[in-house]
Amino acid sequence: MSRPAPWRDVRVLRIAFQAAFLVAVVAFVLWIVDNTVGNLERRGIRTSFDFLDQPAGFRIPGSDFRTSQSIGDAILVGVETTMKVSAIGIVLAFLLGVFVGVARLSPNWLVRRAAALYVESLRNVPVLAIIFFWYLAVILRLPTVEVAGLFVFSNRAFAVPDLTLEDGIELFGIAALVGLVAAAVVWRWRTRRFDATGEPHHRVLWGAGLLAAVLTVGFFAAGRPIGLDTPERLRFGFAGGLRMSPEFAGLLIALVLYTASHIAEVVRGSILAVQKGQGEAADALGLSPFQRLRFVVLPQAFRIMIPPLANHFLNLVKNSSLGVAIALPEVTRVVRIAISQRAPAPQSIVMLMGIYLVFSLSIALVTNLVNRRLQLKGRT
Amino acid sequence: MSTSPLQEPIPVPEEGQPITQLGPREWARQNLFRTWFDTALTVVFSLILAWALYRAGRFVFFTGRWEIIDRNLTNLLVFRFPRDELWRVWTGLFVLAGTFGVAAGSAARTRDQAVAEGRVAPPEERLVLRRFGPVLLLVAVLLYFAGTLSAFLLTAGVAVVAVAARFAGYRVPPNRAGWGFAVGILGLVAAFTVILGFGGVGWDRWGGLMLTIFLAVGGITISFPIGVLLALGRRSTFPAVRVVCVGYIELIRGVPLITVLFMGAFMLGFFLPPGTETPSLETRALVALVVFTSAYVAEIVRGGLQSVPRGQIEAAYAVGLSPLRTTALIVLPQALRAVIPAMVGQFITLFKDTSLVAIIGLTELLGVSSIVTSQPDFLGQGLIFETLVFAAFVYWVGSYSMSRESQRLERRLGVGQR
Amino acid sequence: MRSTLIRQLAIALIGVVFVASGCNLGGDDDDDGGEAGGETQTQTQPGQTGGDLLQTVTSRGRLICGVNDAVPGFGFVTEGGDFEGFDIDYCRAVAAGILGDPEAVDFRPLTAEQRFTALQAGEVDVLIRNTTWTSSRDGSEGARFLTTTFYDGQGMMVQADSEFQELEDLDGATICVLSGTTTELNLAAQFEARNLDFEPLSFEDNDPLQQAFQQGRCEAWSSDLSQLAGIRSNWPDGEGGPEALRILDVTMSKEPLGPVVADGQEDFADAVNWIVIATIQAEEFGITSENIDEQLNSEDPEVQRFLGQPVEGEPFDPGLNLDAEFAANVVRAVGNYGEIFERNVGPDTGLGLERGLNALWTEGGLHYPPPYR
Repeated sequence: MSRPAPWRDVRVLRIAFQAAFLVAVVAFVLWIVDNTVGNLERRGIRTSFDFLDQPAGFRIPGSDFRTSQSIGDAILVGVETTMKVSAIGIVLAFLLGVFVGVARLSPNWLVRRAAALYVESLRNVPVLAIIFFWYLAVILRLPTVEVAGLFVFSNRAFAVPDLTLEDGIELFGIAALVGLVAAAVVWRWRTRRFDATGEPHHRVLWGAGLLAAVLTVGFFAAGRPIGLDTPERLRFGFAGGLRMSPEFAGLLIALVLYTASHIAEVVRGSILAVQKGQGEAADALGLSPFQRLRFVVLPQAFRIMIPPLANHFLNLVKNSSLGVAIALPEVTRVVRIAISQRAPAPQSIVMLMGIYLVFSLSIALVTNLVNRRLQLKGRT
Repeated sequence: MSTSPLQEPIPVPEEGQPITQLGPREWARQNLFRTWFDTALTVVFSLILAWALYRAGRFVFFTGRWEIIDRNLTNLLVFRFPRDELWRVWTGLFVLAGTFGVAAGSAARTRDQAVAEGRVAPPEERLVLRRFGPVLLLVAVLLYFAGTLSAFLLTAGVAVVAVAARFAGYRVPPNRAGWGFAVGILGLVAAFTVILGFGGVGWDRWGGLMLTIFLAVGGITISFPIGVLLALGRRSTFPAVRVVCVGYIELIRGVPLITVLFMGAFMLGFFLPPGTETPSLETRALVALVVFTSAYVAEIVRGGLQSVPRGQIEAAYAVGLSPLRTTALIVLPQALRAVIPAMVGQFITLFKDTSLVAIIGLTELLGVSSIVTSQPDFLGQGLIFETLVFAAFVYWVGSYSMSRESQRLERRLGVGQR
Repeated sequence: MRSTLIRQLAIALIGVVFVASGCNLGGDDDDDGGEAGGETQTQTQPGQTGGDLLQTVTSRGRLICGVNDAVPGFGFVTEGGDFEGFDIDYCRAVAAGILGDPEAVDFRPLTAEQRFTALQAGEVDVLIRNTTWTSSRDGSEGARFLTTTFYDGQGMMVQADSEFQELEDLDGATICVLSGTTTELNLAAQFEARNLDFEPLSFEDNDPLQQAFQQGRCEAWSSDLSQLAGIRSNWPDGEGGPEALRILDVTMSKEPLGPVVADGQEDFADAVNWIVIATIQAEEFGITSENIDEQLNSEDPEVQRFLGQPVEGEPFDPGLNLDAEFAANVVRAVGNYGEIFERNVGPDTGLGLERGLNALWTEGGLHYPPPYR
């Protein structure tokens, strides 16, 4: 079979088409970049990234950031806040979401309705409105506490006692390690014993008991190396303890409530998607409703829900950029402040997008790994 | 069954307990006080609900200072739209009521025909009030605040036209199903033209709820074809095309909407050749929304494409259709039908997300509600709660009603497919 | 420099490998400085005479004015959907002066970050959006500041029953400010100069800020004195009314606010500048929107010249490329400076401001119009 002429050869045509396509795309992008650079230079806007090294000139609340530090440092401070709010938010939203999702299927009519009310009212309102509402109507309305107790919930700060490490902590660390190892050994022993004889294993009791005992002994032997740092009232605001600014708390709560309302629907759908026979079989085995949920239904539902869950986690990270509305200095807000203090907008925004892209890609990576593990387990 | 990666994966059935007739006492025992734990839950939840209801009721009926809404209703709905051109908006509403009524009537006729022929299961009966309750409530609230006879009469007129058009549409023979859809699109275009054309008002003077709806509808309409192309590109056999499409989709899906909006607000003007006049902020926001949404639409459509059985494509090739015609005539129609509910979901998301344009300085509903408080009469009284609650209520009605409709649609299409 | 940005943008934006080609894509179309038209004048070729933005505006027949839509007294939207305020009146004045019609204005609300970009990109002709004149803005934002319309200063407001008297008392306090403004930078500079510690809480909008201050989230509220006075006089009675607040007797900065145009628009800048001056001059002459028609027949040659009435046969033409009667048009449309002030921010309005620094130089204020001759 002779080769057809090049202009009729499918392989050649394919390559030619793709080459043309790529050239068109690249040309388009370069056209935009060229226009942008031309426009920026024409207007005397800086076109490099060296603004990052310039002194910021503004302060960031809730951090030790000084005005003499660079804009780049300011952005890093913002990144840290975004990461904190996202990490805590994802954990809390997941827990609350599972709880509400299960509650939506509760046999109790009132609980079912309350959960539905929660989901339907939060899911259908813009998250920005929820953030505003929580911050303005709830957090700011908290009292301004004048005396600090162990726990502080005020519109100046949320604080809980923090642990401080003192001398002798190394010794205590070793004791903790020993305790953990011992607990693990006991756990395995109880499990094996249970497998062999069938007598109740109580492995949690045994393990935790042993660990607690070792830790207590270690704590006093090392001369009480862990202290309690309680929040204290200063002239203005609070110091000490683990503190959270009201803005942080406002954004966190709003994001958690909003995301949980979406996660609850995922959870509900996934539970309903678990084959009905599984639940019935659990009932037939005489498991309690809790045991049925914990050991039979949820583990299977969890496998189904991971991909949509990952999307909602991602959304939470992206929505944290709305902290911009309530004075929380997360990364978007810091970049905006920088722009209004004469950092060039184009570079700043491109950088901001890059930062979020890194966040998103890392979350996608982690959930893909988890997903793969769980799916493999499911197949074997 | 189509499962798009973005939506909740499982079509969620309503609470499916078979309703058996129980006396109230028996019902309560079964549903509220089955075990001691249940009883405790019931008590706790009643207290929480009662407290929430009390607070909400007290705010809405007693402590709320609603004068700011009362006097700024027009601002919240259309903001700076010139007041002597408002007839255009009303005309647009009439056109929409007429055409959408016809479309709905024609769709209902088609469905009833299908039910009569036993091709699909009859739709579950639902009370009209339950279905349209939130929307009616919204209309009532708006009329209460408007408080004028003309607004009331015009609204009643719109409603009458809608109902009349529905009955007219019902008389169209059912085999012209596409017809109703075409009328709907036509109505949208006509309404748009009435407001915009013939010396009308450009969208840089739109605002409030009208801008919200424009951005959402415009955004989804323009994103749809782009998204379909991207999805086809992502499943293309050309590696170069695939790489570009995947790159675009994943890049956009990895960043928050607000950064894309910033991009539109600050940089779009710089992208154009020197000397071009920079488009208005509204246009730039729309472009940003389209850039963002089309990536999500692409993923939805991809889910639809994947749901088309391989055999369909093979059969098309077997009867000698070219790849292009296979895609256009066999794959796409089936795929697009499967993604309708997910697209509605995406529209709802977009509808809510348009609130973010307030951050770049556009005055859509949420934006208006946060700036009317700087009027001299309302300055410094903390009226942001009232305006915020009002805006949230409007968003809630729109988004809740649409999600309800989309669930109905999902069930119906699901039934139709099997 | 050009090729570095291309690289950086390309890496960040696309992450694809066409960086290498980045170096040689310049060159083909950067010779278009001339035809770009008035709106995209460059810094590198300033002072192009004639045919600049002034002509564009005249032929367009509309003025596009960048404004604020949420600053009480200066720029806000009424229930009827119209803009109103001190800055808005200056937009109308410019339209009346250049186009003869105070209604020929399109208002573009801009956020604080967007304003200079919008001005540079030619989205707005003139920016009248309570913008403080500073050297770095004048120098590196491609902006040109014109005659100040309002002399403001940054102040500090606290609850009346607090013990704060001066900035030193606020060491370590949380201070609420509006972001995207010079206020934020002044605050930091003032406190650091005094070696004081503080936490800034910077909000986008006045409303959340007010809530935060009202609920005790911050000890003090720093803003322009005019804004603080307005907020104080409108403080809700339920919160104790104006008496519940106290403005500290410190002025932390100078805040001259005025119109801004893009660099390189000489004719347009001159026109806007002299329209602003005309409002002040009119007050000095005692010309108001009410007596303007009588003043047209004034005996005073200075007034005659100012209003573009023929003096010895010829109306005076200063060469501003404006209508000879522009000052009369401006005053007829919006009134003189005093009228604009009283109408929008004066004692009878919600803001209730006194003239203070904003009085004429003859009254001990700072408004000193250059001679019109």
